[in-house]
Parts: sequence; structure tokens; C-alpha cells
Amino acid sequence: MTTLTKNDIEIATRAADQFTRLYYSTYDSATRVDDLPNFYRPSSALTWNGRPFQGSDGVRKLISAMPTTKHEIQSFDCHPIPGTQPPNLLITVSGIVTHGRGPTGNPPAASGKSVDGQPRVFSQTFMLVPDPTAPPTKAGEVAKYYVNSDALRFVG
Amino acid sequence: MTAASGSRAIAANALRSAGILDRDERMRDASDKPGGRKGAHKTSHKSRTSHRPRPIDALTGKDQAATSSRTAMLASRLAAGDSLAIRGAAKGPLGRLRRNALSGGATANTPPSIVELWKEFVKRKWNADGKFLNFERIAEDEYVQRNKMWMPNSAEKELSVMFKLASVLFPEVQTISLAHNNLVSGRVLSRLSHYLPNLANLSLQGNRLSLWKDLDYISGRKGRLSQLRELILLDNPLRNNEYGKDRERYKSEVARRFPALEMLDMEPIPKIAFDVPHASTSHAAPAGPAPTTFPVEMGESFIAGVDGALLSGFLVRFLPLYDNQRTALMDVYHPKATFSFSSNTQIPIRARIEGYRHSKQMPHQRKQDWARWGAGKPGGSRNLNRLAGGNVDRLVKSLHVGNEDIIKAMAELPTTKHDVAGSPEKFCIDAWPVQQGDSPQLFVTIHGQFEEEPSQCIMSFDRSFILAPAPEGSRAKQSGWDLMILSDMLVIRQYSSHDAWRPGPMRVQAGDPLSITPATAQPSAQSARSLQEMLAAIPEPQRSLVMQICQRTGLNVEYAVQCLEGNAWDVERAVANFEQVKSTLSREAFL
Repeated sequence: MTTLTKNDIEIATRAADQFTRLYYSTYDSATRVDDLPNFYRPSSALTWNGRPFQGSDGVRKLISAMPTTKHEIQSFDCHPIPGTQPPNLLITVSGIVTHGRGPTGNPPAASGKSVDGQPRVFSQTFMLVPDPTAPPTKAGEVAKYYVNSDALRFVG
Repeated sequence: MTAASGSRAIAANALRSAGILDRDERMRDASDKPGGRKGAHKTSHKSRTSHRPRPIDALTGKDQAATSSRTAMLASRLAAGDSLAIRGAAKGPLGRLRRNALSGGATANTPPSIVELWKEFVKRKWNADGKFLNFERIAEDEYVQRNKMWMPNSAEKELSVMFKLASVLFPEVQTISLAHNNLVSGRVLSRLSHYLPNLANLSLQGNRLSLWKDLDYISGRKGRLSQLRELILLDNPLRNNEYGKDRERYKSEVARRFPALEMLDMEPIPKIAFDVPHASTSHAAPAGPAPTTFPVEMGESFIAGVDGALLSGFLVRFLPLYDNQRTALMDVYHPKATFSFSSNTQIPIRARIEGYRHSKQMPHQRKQDWARWGAGKPGGSRNLNRLAGGNVDRLVKSLHVGNEDIIKAMAELPTTKHDVAGSPEKFCIDAWPVQQGDSPQLFVTIHGQFEEEPSQCIMSFDRSFILAPAPEGSRAKQSGWDLMILSDMLVIRQYSSHDAWRPGPMRVQAGDPLSITPATAQPSAQSARSLQEMLAAIPEPQRSLVMQICQRTGLNVEYAVQCLEGNAWDVERAVANFEQVKSTLSREAFL
């Protein structure tokens, strides 16, 4: 097993920085049904609150039935997983997500004390892996990565 | 008069003659804070025109705080006339508005406004084929010289105008060169990411930028060129000094500021790519209105493709040791394993509404103190949302690599108490195998809560693991661990109740009925999950036996394992046994 270098860590950090930005802006966009599945492959496994979905098609099915979302990332972290080279990446994101119209979509009679409609805390963990069938297309490109595993939970 | 104020005065005179500044308005220092600007207004002569904003201010939207309603209206008319309105669109015939806009005491012979001049300049510098704006050597440009448009000391305003004009006239611009403009501070670029956030290529070659701070104006948290793919900093003191000192460090310092960067100073930067969605290929509006209910209900813990007992056995041993005897975890971490923790310090809205912080059941919640979690210390919380634009050393130091470093880092974290056995409903696990190369691995996430000791404050956590079967002879195996840890990533949060993952229907809005369409059955998910993946968590040599049984009997992995276990892992006996009972097996036993 090769030892992780400082360079591995820096590349992983930048990748996570870009990935989280792209992923959630796509998720929250009007074109999410067409675009979000691009981050996955047919072999990808994911769960949404404990419910399994399979591959890009599963993502499409899930996102098609999802109320509109607005995510706010509050923290994220990324490790290059020791083992293969280039390394797989483990990414965890913690933040809040508002569904539908949020608190403003609540009926006027709803109590201000109601948590319904309020943003939820979510925790989402991804394992990103290089796609061996998509060789680098540009100088400097280490590899093209996709979401191999993805587990999301509402946690607050 | 100091040298600085002297040059300011010269610049002010020049601007007056160029029509940028009003006759009696003081030159404002480009570095003035908004408050400072206000101050400058107060001390200026109280003539009728003393409150008129610079047209340039109107354009960049910087005049709003300090102008009267009359001038604000003028400014918006000017903007409207130029079709560059910050507020509202163009309203009438351009000519009339233009005259109105310039009529503030001006004569018919007033030269074209400075905005008009810059507009013309930007148009001249546009290369449509390359989607390229060539703003190199502005001071040497004949048109700029003739119209006395360029004051190096106030370049921030001029460049802001150019960026805004570019965003309006040529929103498709991909590339801008600001090479050889004698720029001494990054401040002049402060509006670039505001107007052109999607810029892909930027050259700052041949300027006098000398500090990392100068780059922060286009890479800071607020104004970041997050799509920038290529940057040229050649022939700036910053680049020359830093590159000479430590070439690799120079590269990573630049790279971390721009997550999409691919080329720096014409050399490639190593990066990981994704299938970035292409807006052009997708048809914007989705069919029909967005759903108003969730696609499925909240589900229980999801553990598939792995023996639940194996995983729970691991956790039931790991968490108490983590609570009581962290040094005893030395062997369960692979010698090259990774560990980090990060804190999400925000108080969740739902938790606030529920009032957990003042709950009688949890009397210690207000003792919560992030300082105990190493807030601000190097090697502390690794929240990349804050660190990604930060110091490279801290990124590296806060990721603990190798079991010894990991145990050392953990020893500095507060003692905890996870009540896994007492209240399992307070924990939630999702886990399944992933096959990577020849090494089967387990992907595990746990959500739950712990008591921080000695404060007794309850905190929430999310912990993600990559586990692998402990090979025979490994230190993990020798210490009785069937699974070892490759990666361990811990997130600490303010307390939220485990009600968040209580199985069942969830409301989007208040008042929504909780009856929801039955959970979309997803039988395909598990069965379609490749055999390979299901098998991944089973260590050799059992794995190949399981595979044989699956192939010969058509049983799924779970039943194949049961069948083998019942027959002392003898394949022939297992197959014979299968033949005896196969007629009694239900559909779910098979692949």
C-alpha cells in the first residue's frame, strides 16, 4: 500500500471543494433531473434516508420525485482513502437543506413553533472513485471520478 | 503635502479634465472605506453639485449609500440610457435620456461620458472568436491616451467599470488578459468575480503583484473565481519570489485558491475531474410542477451485503473502547489509515425551535464549548468549508495518517460516552460493501449522539468509515478484530434529536398529510447490486466458497452463507442440502 503524500491530500481537498460546490448547485437547479445522474454510474449504490437506489437511473428516479431543494453546506471533509492510486476519496458533508417553499410555504394557521417546513440538517457521505473507462483528457488531469457510494440522512 | 496626497491631487486634476470628477469634488482615495467616503463628502464644498456622484460610481452601484434621491435618480437614468441599469431596465428613447443624464449643468458640447468612452474601449478590445477581452497595456493604448481615461492610481474604479461593461456587453466572455498594466495591488480586481463569476482564463502577467493577499481579491470566500481554469501570474514579484523559494509550495498555494484550476503559468496542475453537467444539453424546465411530497418515507438503518453481526460486533467493541480506552484502538487502525474530525458549530433551526438548549431533560447543554474540540488550533477541526481556502499546512496537519498519529490525535479530544447498548434508537447506520480493485471494503456511516465528559453535554455526530476485512496475521486480526479501519471521518454537531431519522412518512410543509404513497419498492436495488459487490465484505477463503454456491444453486449471497454455515463450509454438503430443501425455499432466497 503506497503512503499518502502531501500532494494526494491537496489534490483530494481541491477535488472535494469543487465536487461539493458542483454537486449541490446541480441538485438545487432546475435541470437536476438531467444533470445530477451524471455524477454517478450504473454500478453506483446510494441510499436516501435508508432507502436504496441503484445507479444513475436510480438517481434520476429519486430526484424526479423530490420536492425542490436548497442546500447550504456548513462543513465538509475529505480523505484520500489509503490503498489504490490514484486514491479513492471519502467525502462527508454536513449542512442544512430546505425543501419546497420552506417555512414560507406553511399555511398561515401553522404555529410558529412548528418545525415543519424548516430546514433540516443533513449528513451525506460519498465515496468517489476514478473511472478507469474515462482516461484523462487534459494535461494535469489525474482521472475522472464518479460517485461509487452515497449515503444521505436527515439528522436534525 | 505628502507624496501620496500630491499624486492624488494630480490624479484628481486629470480626472476633472477628463470629466470623471466634478469640478469641486475631492479625489477619493480608492482605498477609502465607505465611512471614509462619507467623510470626504461632508468636508467638500457645499455647492449645488457637490453631491453628484461620479458617473462611474453610478455604474458600479457604489453610489447608493452616499447620494441624495435626486442624484440617485439621475444615476439610474444614466444607467438606463446605457442599458446598463443596476435597478430596472431601459425605459425610453436613448437620446433623450442621454441628454437628461448629462444635463446637470453641462453644455451641448460636453464630451462623451466616461462610461461611453469605456464602452467603446471594451468593444474595441473584444475578440468574439476567442471570447477574449484583451485589456493588456491599457495605459499605452492610443484611444485611452487621447481621452485621458486611465489613472493608474484609481484603476479599481476603471477596472470595475470595464468588468461590468464586459458582463453586460459580452456575457459569454471566457478570457481576460490584464497583462502589463503595472497593477500593484489585487484590490483593483475586487469586482471581477462579482461581475464575471464564471471567468475561465485570466492573465495577470507582467504586473507588480507581490503578496498572496493580492490574489485573495479574486479567491476570497466572498468573491471567488470558482470556475477559473487557467491563470497566468508570470513576471510578477509574487510569482518570481515564491517560485524561487519553493516551486511546489507556490503551485499549491495558488491551486488551493481556485478549485477548478487546470493550468498555472502555462503548466498543468494535477486535478481530479468530474462529469460536469452541461447546461446546454439539458432542457431547462422540468415537466410539470415540482413534487410536494418526499419520494419515499424515512427508512430504518440500511445494512446490506454484509453480515449485520459482523458490523455490529465491530461497533459494539469499537465505541466503548473509543469512550474509555482509546489507546487500545491502536491495532484496529491500518498502519496507513486516515482519521480527522470536524465540527459543524451551527445551531440547527429545528433544534432551536424545540428548545433543546434549555431542556430540563438535558440540563448540561449550555456547557457546550467548542474550545474543547480544539477550535482554532492547528491539527484541530478539519472543516474544509473554512479551511479549503486557508493554509495548506493546516489542511495537511489536521488529517491524521497512520495508527500512531491517529491515537495521539484522539487522545486530545474530550472523553465521550456513546450509549449504544442502552438506546439503540439513538443511532442509525447505513452500510454496504464496495469492491475496489482486489480489496473488498465496507462503506459505513453512523449517526448518533454522545455525552461529552465531564461536561455531560449531549452532542450529535456523524461518523463515516471505510473498513476492510482484517487479513490473517495482521495486527488487527491478532487483536481479535475481523474488520480494520482504513478511513475514519468524524463530524461533531450541535445536538439534534434522533427523531430526525425516526422511520415513517415526513412532511415537506406544515399541514401536509402524513399519508404518503407507499415507499417505492426498490427490490431491484439489492438484486441488481452486483454479486461482486455483495461478496466483497466476505473474507477469503469463504468468499470463493460463497461464490461457488451462488453459481451452482442460484441462491443469493445471504442464503448461500447460511447454507454453508449450516454445512460446516463444505461446498458439496451444502449443495446436497440445498437440493433437499430447495422446493421449500421462497423466492427471496434466490438471486
